[in-house]
Amino acid sequence: MSNQVNASSSVVEDTRFFDGFTRTILAVMLFLLLVIFASGRYMSSHAMKGAGTDDKVNDLASAAARTGHHPFIELPGDAELGAFSVANFFCGVIVGHHWLKLFGARPQSPTKKPADN
Amino acid sequence: MHIEDGILSPLACAAWYGVTAAFVVPGISEIKQRIRENLMYKPFLAMVGVAVFVISAMHFPVPVTGSCSHPCGTALAAIIIGPFATVVISTIVLFFQAVFLGHGGITTIGANTVSMGIAGGMSGYLLWRMLLAVKCPLWLAAGFAGLAGDLVTYLVAALELAISLHGNVPLMKQWMIFFMGYAPTQLPLAIAEFAFTSTVLVAMLHRRPDLLPKFLQEKETRILQKRESEL
Repeated sequence: MSNQVNASSSVVEDTRFFDGFTRTILAVMLFLLLVIFASGRYMSSHAMKGAGTDDKVNDLASAAARTGHHPFIELPGDAELGAFSVANFFCGVIVGHHWLKLFGARPQSPTKKPADN
Repeated sequence: MHIEDGILSPLACAAWYGVTAAFVVPGISEIKQRIRENLMYKPFLAMVGVAVFVISAMHFPVPVTGSCSHPCGTALAAIIIGPFATVVISTIVLFFQAVFLGHGGITTIGANTVSMGIAGGMSGYLLWRMLLAVKCPLWLAAGFAGLAGDLVTYLVAALELAISLHGNVPLMKQWMIFFMGYAPTQLPLAIAEFAFTSTVLVAMLHRRPDLLPKFLQEKETRILQKRESEL
C-alpha cells in the first residue's frame, strides 16, 4: 500500500506513523524524559525536594524584604498540571501550524512537466 | 528569574517597566522591517515566541543541587529573529506565563523582561556577533551565546532583587547571595542551552537560511563558495 496521497492542494503528504521526522522527535523526547526520570529518581532517593530555584530565591527575597510574595494566580493541586497541559497543547498546535508553512514539503507545481528522456 | 508580585517596590516595578518600554518600541520597528523583507518572518516569529514560552516554563530537575530550573531560549531567539524583537516576544511570553501559569507576576513583567528578554537576549546576541567577528566557528559562537544568555539572565534577575532589597548589606554581597541561589542549578542548564542553541542554529542554517539575518546568509554563502573552490 502506498504511503503517498495526493491532497486536493496538490501537496504530497507522507501518512506513515513513524516517518523520519517523528522518529527523530520521539528519540529526543525519550532522551529528555529519561534525563528527567533519572534525575528525579536520584533526587527522590536522596530526599531532595526538587523545588524550583525561582521559588527559593523569591522566598529569600521575601525574607530580605520582610514581605510576602505571591504569583498573580495560585493554582491548587492538579489544576497547575492542567494549566500547563492546556498551554502546551495549544503551543504544540501553533508550532505545528507554522512548522508546516516554514519547514513542510513544498507544493509541487501542477504545471511541471516530467523530465524528457 | 520569574520574580513574583509583592517583592519589588512599586517604584522599582515602574522603573523596570520603563526600561522594557524603551526596548519594546525599537523591537516593534525591527519586527515591521523584517516582515517587509521576508513575509515568512511572521509565522517564524510566532513559532519562536511559542518556543520561548515553552522553553522558559520547562523545569528540569538538577540532581547536583536537588532543585529544578528552566532554560530561557532568548539568546537563540535574539540570534534568529533579532535582539529587539526578542524583547517584544519575551514581554508577551512573561505576560501569559504570569496570567495562566502563575510564573512571575504582573507588576514584575518589566523586571522579568529586563532580565530574560533584554539582558539574556542582548548579551547572547552581542557575544555571538563578537565571536563571529574573531572567526569563531558558527556552532561554537552560537553555543557560547546560549550559555552566556542563560547565565546573564540570572545575574540580572539577582541584581534587580539586590538593588531593591539590599538595605544595609553591601549591594555586591546581596547580589551574590541572590545569584548563588540560582547559579548551582543554572550552570548545568546553561551548558545544556549551549548544546541546544548551537544545534538549532546549525539546523536552521541548513533548512531555512532565508529566515535568518542577511549577514548570516551571506557568511554561509561565502563558506560554501570557498569549499566549492577548494574542491
